This record gives sequence, structure tokens and C-alpha cells, in this order.
Amino acid sequence: MSSFFTCLCVKAGYKKKGSDDPSVLASQTYFSVNEVEALYDLFKKLSSSIIDDGLIHKEEFQLALFRNSSKQNLFVDRVFDLFDFKHNGVIEFGEFVRSLSVFHPRAPASDKITFLFRLYDLRQTGYIEREELKDMVLALLSESDLLLSDDMIESIIDKTMMEVDTKGDGMIDLEEWKEFVAKNPSLIKPVTLPDLEDITLAFPSFVMDSNVQD
Amino acid sequence: MGYGSKSIGKYQFVRTIGEGTFAKVKLALDISKNQYVAVKIIDKCMVLEGNLKVQVQREIKTMRLLNHPNIVRIHEVIGTKTKIYIVMDYVSGGQLSDKLSYVKRLKESEARKLFQQLIDAVDYCHNRGVYHRDLKPENLLLDSKGNLKVSDFGLSALQKRGEMVSTACGSPCYMAPELLTNRGYDGAAADIWSCGVILFEMLSGSLPFNDCNIINLYEKIYKADYAFPAWFTEAQKNIIWRILNPNAKTRVTAQEIMEDAWFQVHYVPAPIYECEGEDAYDVPAAFELVEEMEADKQIPNPSSFINAFKLIAMSQDLDLSGLFEEKDEVKVKVMLVSDHTIHDTMTKIQAAAEDANLLAERSNNKMKMHPSGKLPRRSQPYFNLSAEVIEVAPLQCVIEISKSAGEVAMYKEFCKSLSSLL
Repeated sequence: MSSFFTCLCVKAGYKKKGSDDPSVLASQTYFSVNEVEALYDLFKKLSSSIIDDGLIHKEEFQLALFRNSSKQNLFVDRVFDLFDFKHNGVIEFGEFVRSLSVFHPRAPASDKITFLFRLYDLRQTGYIEREELKDMVLALLSESDLLLSDDMIESIIDKTMMEVDTKGDGMIDLEEWKEFVAKNPSLIKPVTLPDLEDITLAFPSFVMDSNVQD
Repeated sequence: MGYGSKSIGKYQFVRTIGEGTFAKVKLALDISKNQYVAVKIIDKCMVLEGNLKVQVQREIKTMRLLNHPNIVRIHEVIGTKTKIYIVMDYVSGGQLSDKLSYVKRLKESEARKLFQQLIDAVDYCHNRGVYHRDLKPENLLLDSKGNLKVSDFGLSALQKRGEMVSTACGSPCYMAPELLTNRGYDGAAADIWSCGVILFEMLSGSLPFNDCNIINLYEKIYKADYAFPAWFTEAQKNIIWRILNPNAKTRVTAQEIMEDAWFQVHYVPAPIYECEGEDAYDVPAAFELVEEMEADKQIPNPSSFINAFKLIAMSQDLDLSGLFEEKDEVKVKVMLVSDHTIHDTMTKIQAAAEDANLLAERSNNKMKMHPSGKLPRRSQPYFNLSAEVIEVAPLQCVIEISKSAGEVAMYKEFCKSLSSLL
């Protein structure tokens, strides 16, 4: 019932009051009110690509990223789950904006580091375990033309654990992860989307309907 | 607030620097960067009345893609209930028209430099299918070093109306004959004509076509009826004559102007920016430095296996930029696998580049490629390609090939050639 309501509200436009109000979202994120309005334009496009219900379903997310609604991918599944923090299987506008805020070029690196840690912590145990790391490497290799022998894969994982798991307990905690990223800042590059910097130019139609007071 | 307001967002208004029928331009201070910007303020009702809504939106999107040293850059747009604010670079030296009004005419060397920069900018836009349609000295700004910056490229919807009617003796003076007939016209050729009028004006101090009677003025433009002042050299006359050709079909193009001997004197093409911001948006410089040092340290490291997290960060699986792309503008990024050493792989990339007629430039394990050929660099079809080699395991390299906007054919040729070598 609650998702039915959200759906109606989002569809009726986002000028409604409440937690998805652009000014509320702007105050909680790295976006300005206009940027939130521009994102609404993008959200409308994404959430109506298969079912026009004002919600982004996983198939719509996959369609946007792969031009293919049935292509599954471990990493995209994880990103979707992190965006869907209410865990109801769909991304609402509020979730969309709050999640993308981490990807803003102005968002602090510490937020990006934590986001990535949560993403890699596949089973959400608070640690990145060797097994999870291996799952990710295998998922990655299955998507690429790279053919590595089992020995090579084991070597890569051994080396990685050796470098990151400095306490040597067989799993990576947030502290170890932060230290490792500090030495290798390019690791958080995927958590920055340059497109967000000029989102008002990419989706300018909000200027006509903006509700911002003069 | 409105026109009299003191600020919008992080921009504090300082004073009004321009006023038109359609918009007002204010100097403002970006308090987050302590940097001046120009803010064009447009009344929304004017846009709605003129039915320009769709066009304005399209033009803002277009302007976002223009990144050239001689074009005023747009930073962001802000919308309120009644107004649209377009935030742009502030260019401190004023309009070329002001300069022309107090110095009369320019020295040949200065006129040529400004004309070269103008053609450079115009060619850049034309290669991207963007036309100005209202080039005139009021739209050409000068920065503190005397370099030219074209303003309002792609904003023709916000330009034309009003101004044309109100100043009968102003704007039409720069208009190509085919524009006067209101038939369909080629935006590129029309822009070139205006550039010719501007060059004439810079060198002579007066307009080639001028008459306060609009009928007479149109008549002169149609026939390209103008006279050169006595001091014009043959080389100057020749280039202007080729530009002010009333037949749009046989008029010279920007590329042909660039090959002109007079134009070529001391010509320095503007540096090409990497499109898509591939590099501009890369990790900040400080990060890169750390990375390079890291890479240096890794050379003596006996294990040449990649760290799994680096492999993940590199892969496209985590790339969400697809959310922002239109269906037809898929960014091309391809990964190839090589079972040679980094050094051998780089040699093969170089060979593949030569096969595809590309000029390759190596820096560490990255290769940047541009089209080679005899044409001047700027008139090449826009094209940039880069390949980066990353060692994943001994004798297992990944080659990441990325391409910015440009021709797909050349890119495919390169990939095919490289695959066959690997």
C-alpha cells in the first residue's frame, strides 16, 4: 500500500511537500534545488522506460546501463540494492537523489570510500571476505575476454589480501579499506560521475517548471 | 528579487553589463570560487510567448558540449518561477564592437589574430553541427590578453527576436544574403559570411554594407555590392572576396579559409580539448601524482599481479555514466586482451595505429592517437582515441581503448588491426 501511494505522489509531480520535496532533498544532499529538479527529469525518463509508474525497477536500471533489460551483473545488482535503501525492490525519486549524491564530484572522498566498501561487502557482514573478493573477480572476468587460469586468479586474490588485509585476519575491515584507498585514490573513481557536475545543462527542461522562489 | 535582486544561489550580482530586449547580462561573483562570472537573465514569459521553450532547452544542451578556448563557456543554468539564469565565463575586455568604436580600425596583425581565433571557434562548432546565426562584433568578446571569445554560440533562439527588428541598421549588416530571403539556408555558410563582414570591418573601420534604408541595404547585400578602401592589400582583398560571395554554395568554407595564405601567417591552432572530459575529469592532478609514484614503486615488485580492487575499479561493470546517456550516444570503450609483455603490447598498438593512419603519442603505458594526414589539424574530422595497457598477470595485459566523439570508422579500423596483431 505504501509503495502504491508513493507511486501516485511521484507521478503527480514532485511539487508535493514531504521527504521528496526538491528543497528537502537539496538540503540533505550535495545537489542544489535546481539540480534536484534536473535529476527529476532524468528520473522520469529512467522510471518510465518499461513501466511508467514513477519508480525505477531493476530491469529499467539494467536497460539504461546495458541497453538490455535482462542483462544481469553482480556489481549492478549491488549498486541497485544500495540505491534501494528501503529494500522494496524499486528505486524511488528520493532514494535516487540521495544515492546519486555520493557520486557528486563535490561529495567528500570519505563518503565515496564507505559507499564502495558497502558495495564490495556483498553479504553485508561488515567485512570484505576473501570469498567475496573472489566472487567479484570471477564476475568481472566472465564479462571480459580475459582468460586467466585458476592459479592466476588465486595469485591475484592472494596478492590483494596481502596488500589490503594488513591485520592478516583473512578479511578486510573498513579501517583497512580506508588505509588502502588512501594509498590508491584512483580506486574511488567509479564513485564520481562527472555528468552530475553539469546536470542542469544536460536536463535543462526544469527551468521552465522550476518552483524556486524569485 | 527579480532584476533588482542581489544574488542567486552562490552568485552575488555586482552590476549590469549588458541589456537587450530579451535578456539582461550581469556581472556576478561566484562566492564558492571567488571568481567572476557573467549571468544572462532571461524572462521566462518572453520564452513562453515566443514558443521557444523546446529550442531554449536544446540550445542549453548544445552549449554544454562546446569546449574551446575561443568560445565563452557555460557553467550552469538556474531556473526560478519567473526567470532563467545562464551562468557563463566573464570576459573582462568587453565587446569587439566597443573596441572598434574607439580605435576605428585594427592593425593587420591584430585583425588577423582575432579573425584566426574567430574561424577556429566557428570551425569547431560547425564540425559539431552547431551554428551561431548571429555573429557580429557585439557577440565577440575580448579577454584581458586581447584574445577573442565568441559568446552565445548555440543560443540563437534567444538572440534573433527583437534585436533584428529594433536596430534595422545594426544586425542585418552582418547577415548573409540567403538569410534575407527567408528560404532554407545552410547555417555554416551564413556564419562564414558574417565572419567576412567582421574581418572587413576590423581592417577598414567601417561596414562593407551599410545603408539606413533597409531596402537599399538588402539590395547591396544581395549583390555583394561593396568597395575596398584604398589601403587593402591584394591578399586581404582576395580572402574577403572569397568569403563575401553571395552564392552560399560556392562560398569558401572554414577549412578553405584556414588554407588561405593570408590566414596562415602566424596561425597557431587552438589546442583541442579532450572531448567528453575524459581527461579533464580524470582523477585530480594530485591523485595522479600519487598513482605514478605508486607505479614506479611497483616496478621492482616481484609479483606482477594486479590488485583485484584495481581491476574492479577499472572495469566497466561499475560505470554508471550510462544512466545519463541518450540511447544513441553510447560511449565506446573496449577492452582487449594481450598475452604479451607491456612493452610488446605497446609496440603492437603503435603498429596498429600506423595501419589505421593514426599519429600515436606514448606516455608511460598510455597511447594517445589522432588522425594524421596532410590537411591542417583543425579541419580534421574530430577524433581522439586512447589505449591504455594494464598488466593483470605475467604476460596477461588488458588494453583499454576509449574513444571520444568522432568517426567510428577509423576507430573500428584501429581495433580490427590491433586484434589481428595480438
